[in-house]
Amino acid sequence: MRGLFSVLLLALVSAVSAVSSTGGRLLVVLEEHSEREKYGVFFGDLEARGFHLTIESPKSESLSLFKHGERAYDHTILLPGKSKGLGPALTANTLLDFMKKEGNILIALSSDHAIPTSIHSTLLELDIHIPSDKGALVVDHFNHDSNKAAEKHDVLLLPFPQALKPNVKNYFAGEGLIAVPQAVGQTLGNESPLLAPILRAPNTAYSYNPKDEADIVEDPFAVGSQLNLVSAMQAHNSARLTVVGSAEMLQNAWFAEKATLAGKAVKTANRDFAARLTEWTFKETGVVKVGKLIHYQDEGVSKKMNTSLAIPEHNPTIYRIKSDVNFQIEISEYSQDRLAPFLPAPGDHVQLEFSMLSPFHRLNLSPISQTANSTIFGVSFKTPDQHGIFNFRVNYRRPFLTSIEEKRQVTVRHFAHDEWPRSWQISGAWVWIGGIWVTVAGFVAFVAVWLYSAPTEKSVKKTQ
Amino acid sequence: MKLLQPFVSTLLLVGSGVVSAASSWGFDDATVTVQAKGAGVGAGTKEKLSPNTPLSKSVSLGATDTLKLLLTAVDGKKAKRPHQAFLTLTDPTTGLEESFVLNVKESGKGKVDLTHKDLPVQFLTSTKPIVASIVIGSFGSSTPYNSKAFELDIARDANVPLAIPEKPLRYAVENEIHHVFRQDPQSPSKMITIVFAVGVLAAVPVLLGAWATLGANANHLGKAMGAAPLSHALFVGSILAMEGIFFMYYTSWNLFQTLPAAAVVGVVAFLSGSRALTEVQERRLAGLR
Amino acid sequence: MAAPASDTLLQQFTGRKTRGVLRFVILGLIAGAAVSSRLFSVIRFESIIHEFDPWFNFRATKYLVQNGFYSFWDWFDDRTWHPLGRVTGGTLYPGLMVTSGVIYHALRALTLPVDIRNICVLLAPGFSGLTAFATYLLTSEMVASPSAGLLAAAFMGITPGYISRSVAGSYDNEAIAIFLLVFTFFLWIKAVKNGSMFWGALTALFYGYMVSAWGGYVFITNLLPLHAFVLICMGRYSPRLYVSYTSWYALGTLASMQIPFVGFLPIRSSEHMSSLGVFGLIQIVGFVEYVRVQLPNKQFQTLLRALVFVIFVVAFGGLVVLTVSGTIAPWSGRFYSLWDTAYAKIHIPIIASVSEHQPTAWPAFFFDLSMMIWLFPAGVYMCFRSLTDEQVFIVIYSVLASYFAGVMVRLMLTLTPIVCVASAMAFSQILDTYLDAKIPEQGAKENGSSDPAKVAAAVLPDGLRSTRNPLVGIYSYASRLTVIGASTVYLMLFVLHCTWVTSNAYSSPSVVLASRLPDGSQHIIDDYREAYYWLRQNTPDNAKVMSWWDYGYQIGGMADRPTLVDNNTWNNTHIATVGKAMSSREEVSYPIMRQHEVDYVLVVFGGLLGYSGDDINKFLWMVRIAEGIWPEEVKERNFFTQRGEYRVDEEATPTMKNSLMYKMSYYNYNSLFPAGQATDRVRGVRLPAEGPQLSTIEEAFTSENWIIRIYKVKEPDNFGRDHQSATAFDKGHKKKRASKRKGPRVLRVE
Repeated sequence: MRGLFSVLLLALVSAVSAVSSTGGRLLVVLEEHSEREKYGVFFGDLEARGFHLTIESPKSESLSLFKHGERAYDHTILLPGKSKGLGPALTANTLLDFMKKEGNILIALSSDHAIPTSIHSTLLELDIHIPSDKGALVVDHFNHDSNKAAEKHDVLLLPFPQALKPNVKNYFAGEGLIAVPQAVGQTLGNESPLLAPILRAPNTAYSYNPKDEADIVEDPFAVGSQLNLVSAMQAHNSARLTVVGSAEMLQNAWFAEKATLAGKAVKTANRDFAARLTEWTFKETGVVKVGKLIHYQDEGVSKKMNTSLAIPEHNPTIYRIKSDVNFQIEISEYSQDRLAPFLPAPGDHVQLEFSMLSPFHRLNLSPISQTANSTIFGVSFKTPDQHGIFNFRVNYRRPFLTSIEEKRQVTVRHFAHDEWPRSWQISGAWVWIGGIWVTVAGFVAFVAVWLYSAPTEKSVKKTQ
Repeated sequence: MKLLQPFVSTLLLVGSGVVSAASSWGFDDATVTVQAKGAGVGAGTKEKLSPNTPLSKSVSLGATDTLKLLLTAVDGKKAKRPHQAFLTLTDPTTGLEESFVLNVKESGKGKVDLTHKDLPVQFLTSTKPIVASIVIGSFGSSTPYNSKAFELDIARDANVPLAIPEKPLRYAVENEIHHVFRQDPQSPSKMITIVFAVGVLAAVPVLLGAWATLGANANHLGKAMGAAPLSHALFVGSILAMEGIFFMYYTSWNLFQTLPAAAVVGVVAFLSGSRALTEVQERRLAGLR
Repeated sequence: MAAPASDTLLQQFTGRKTRGVLRFVILGLIAGAAVSSRLFSVIRFESIIHEFDPWFNFRATKYLVQNGFYSFWDWFDDRTWHPLGRVTGGTLYPGLMVTSGVIYHALRALTLPVDIRNICVLLAPGFSGLTAFATYLLTSEMVASPSAGLLAAAFMGITPGYISRSVAGSYDNEAIAIFLLVFTFFLWIKAVKNGSMFWGALTALFYGYMVSAWGGYVFITNLLPLHAFVLICMGRYSPRLYVSYTSWYALGTLASMQIPFVGFLPIRSSEHMSSLGVFGLIQIVGFVEYVRVQLPNKQFQTLLRALVFVIFVVAFGGLVVLTVSGTIAPWSGRFYSLWDTAYAKIHIPIIASVSEHQPTAWPAFFFDLSMMIWLFPAGVYMCFRSLTDEQVFIVIYSVLASYFAGVMVRLMLTLTPIVCVASAMAFSQILDTYLDAKIPEQGAKENGSSDPAKVAAAVLPDGLRSTRNPLVGIYSYASRLTVIGASTVYLMLFVLHCTWVTSNAYSSPSVVLASRLPDGSQHIIDDYREAYYWLRQNTPDNAKVMSWWDYGYQIGGMADRPTLVDNNTWNNTHIATVGKAMSSREEVSYPIMRQHEVDYVLVVFGGLLGYSGDDINKFLWMVRIAEGIWPEEVKERNFFTQRGEYRVDEEATPTMKNSLMYKMSYYNYNSLFPAGQATDRVRGVRLPAEGPQLSTIEEAFTSENWIIRIYKVKEPDNFGRDHQSATAFDKGHKKKRASKRKGPRVLRVE
């Protein structure tokens, strides 16, 4: 609980200096210093949002993601360069270690440049696949910019992505069309729930290798909506990694460019999309935080949660079976620069599990009140008729949202000897209770007779 | 279905594209054949496809059948080899799609073979017929072609178990679980209980009555009180007190309140009882009992 | 041991009072000897709780002392059997803890603040003194000679069969239960002899105490009815028997039902049915006796006998029907294993896996009882000669207890008291005969009915011919001296044997091991406590520790960390779950451990030191118990090589080598030795050159002599990979890009 408190405090402190919820130190790895100009607007936007950019060449001696065993930067952008290697400071292991320490990475690829081996193996480790052939790129004969790529069809023009699923929040919505030039397509493995596509290729697009398949595509790397142009990965510790298939789309040249789609002149909205992407990757959006969590025995009075951080959580550690319990949790969402009340997408619910080995209860939490920057969700239920060591568990994991895993262990004990209904309350026991009192009365009467009975005529005779 | 929205919107874009283009891609002489395994060439169903209208009836593909699609790609009127010639299958319920590349010769003649083994497992388990469309496109300015060709019915042998991999984990809201409580133990109907309880309680008057008829009385009370008043009073009192202690233990006391009280009363009962019973024995020896 | 012998000598010359004082002093000395011989363990090691179960009892006692009686009564223990918990207050015999608690509070009331640990450590020796006294009382009820009682008390005080369970630190139920057993029997004999309701009620009271203290109370529950039944069958029914039995049964059953753990068992379980049956029988017999006295008709009496027989048969039949239909609980598994020693091995491996439940080896009888093993039959034979009501009891007790002691090692404990009583009777007979005969020689010449003759008559049963003619005896000094000398030597040898056994075999706390260095000095191996204290100081307060159940109580007591299973083996499935986790591959074990929220896994490994009681040697029991629940997933056969050998070396089966237990035991063990030289000193084999690799758990702690190894269970991989590939990646093995794919694509579904 103390840890949680300090994390929150840290978040608040950092919110003052930077917009991101985890800090503003941003490393940009860019090989050619001259290319810096190409990304000028993109960098400028980031700096305007409060990030402190450090631009380093992968060949630089001083480049290191870590300092004294801790992260030296909060976020990293890897932009493509000419050389095939990224050097000793950016091996696949270092990149994963950076994410293990909750650093976020944005990797931009380009079909014009060789993809470094360390990026290759990092992505492979995360079950994100990219074509192994150099120069493979995505084309679409249907949705391309007929202005800039009339012949090659390799500049795709796409609308902003829709929500991934009906009950998932969309952090990448926008107006206009996104130009995706010379993209390296990615596919995602089917196993991992940590992966999610951000921008999918249209269903007629495909990725091919212009060297081998100049005439006709024979074995495309991937086709249609299985092919992603931008994909995301969020680790268990909520560290984020975004793969942008086309580094060019972040360049000034495509930020507000005139383009033609199917004869109609449009303007690209890449600047917006780049902002959405970096906001999400660098934890400015889609970050949920748990404030306080209380649970208490329901004795008819509902308690109001005091969300002040000064008062520590003080929850009971033991309950009895079949007792009414009330549970409340405070959740806020970090949006751009402040904490706001969190509300799940329509059709989605934050759920509470009351579990021992497996959940005995899984209940939807409903918002019961709101404070300035948080929503308080709550539910009340009856503890099961099984004693044991249970967990109040809120395990809220959704695509594009940082994960919430809160667990509070409580003991659910059996009825104590004096908590059962008393015997006279059980109608079936009346016969037996009656028997006991009959025995008592009979015994007292017997004592009286034994002590004080005078012999009668008959009984005297009988005993003699 | 919201899922289908991107899919639908791209289709719309495609449609608008067709109008404005100069020349456009299409196909000719397209046939789709379903051939059972081991059956000779020419056997099996064969359907002609037209670029403008999809087949009215769906094509059924059995577990051992091979689907063969033959066509000649044309750009305008001329047979030509396109860069992209796909047979795209789309599951109408999930929007999931997979494309199969047509092997197109220089002459524009293309073909693709399809069996159950080539299909992703999601299609094999699909309940609705799968939409098969043909996509033809290439670089340059010709308008690409994309239209539904036919519906594919996956006929699966129900007896052959399918190795369906476990559904991968996806984070989403899960079904609610409510614990089902065991039923509380039930008491029999109160009437029955009361009848039996009254029966039990009736034992007291019966007992007292029976003793009375046998000649039991309390006539010596005065005599006993006269001989040993203190011990008799204490003895009977302590017996009643003991019952009272039991009653208190039953209703409110705990063990540590009961035990000292019982000890005190027990000692009193022992001391006064030995006196009182001596008196009773004296009476007995005197023939008065 | 010369004390009781000299007592009989002195008794000739002293008055009654002096004899009483003397007897009292002797009993005091015997109690002193009994207590002090049990203190070896404290002197050799320290004042520490021993073994396994005592650690739980100690923990429960601490809970009782801290939280009071009622919260102990309602105690729900959330630190064992995670996550099920245990309704501890309702599933233990509280007698031991309550006794210690009462002593603790009594001493505090006397302003003697004694640490509860010291009370627990010294409770067993303290009660052994009382046991000696109770044995004296019981024996004195059997024979008139007080020397027999004193001898029995002395025997009971120092016999290894009893000491094995009652050395200082052995804070187990048996520590007070044996005293209660003997004392209850004494009260029962007293009640039967006097036909007194008072003694019967006292019997019931101590029987209730016994029920609260030890599960072995069932022995009394069956022995007393059996005694009554045998007496009835011998035609020795008497109102005395009726009064004593009915008052014991009615009050005792009520008393026993007050213990929550026993509850309604006395009227529902088969083990208690004999006492209920005899209670019914004695009512019928009593009624028939009453009617018989009123009606002297011979034929009518025959009819009544037949009636008794018919009712008995009908009742027995009803009992069988109720048992079959399930209203009465059938015999428990432990009970079956008393009749068929192979039963447990087949049906309940968890019972068979306990070494205490193995059949007794013959040498154990000599080891534990020494010379009494041959005096015992003589004593029983003497009981047969006169066969009074109480001596019938001795006979029944010896027969039953002998059988049980043969079946189960731990039941040696119930045999010991009767062996002491019977052999003391035999021995005192010898001593009385050979020491007292001096006086009748002189006394017979002066006065035939002199005092010594009376004594002799009292000592010897009426049927004995020598009492009828007191002049018959042994007069030769030589033969007397020989016999008495031999007896004295035997007694001294007995004392030597008992002392030696106590100090060498029964005084090790087993928490601390002792070994000898080459120079002969003692070396203490304290790995257990080292590891438990490591857990205590380096892990969070509610870090769950998984280990085999043997160590559950110790972890709970010493490390104070929640455990999954412990020595209270109430839930076989939960134990089997742990067995499965230990005997399966890592990939299978990991989800089990995660589901049970395991943070640390503890294994005992003796390979470095040659400590044979380690987990690899117990491993087959884990496999068997797991196989009992999951026969498809765990197979004992797979742990044996083709030739049926249980091996851990190069030839071990893949299942064995991949099991979590094997991996945890031998992980990094190679690093202690030069390449390829790693040897396991317990099993005496050379281990494979390549040590096992672990991926889902990581080594957290290994004790000085590698006896205890503790592993930490890893969190799920941050990137959703399985641990094997994550470990491989960290070691620098990069994943290979998938080569040409085969078959259909795998489509990603959101």
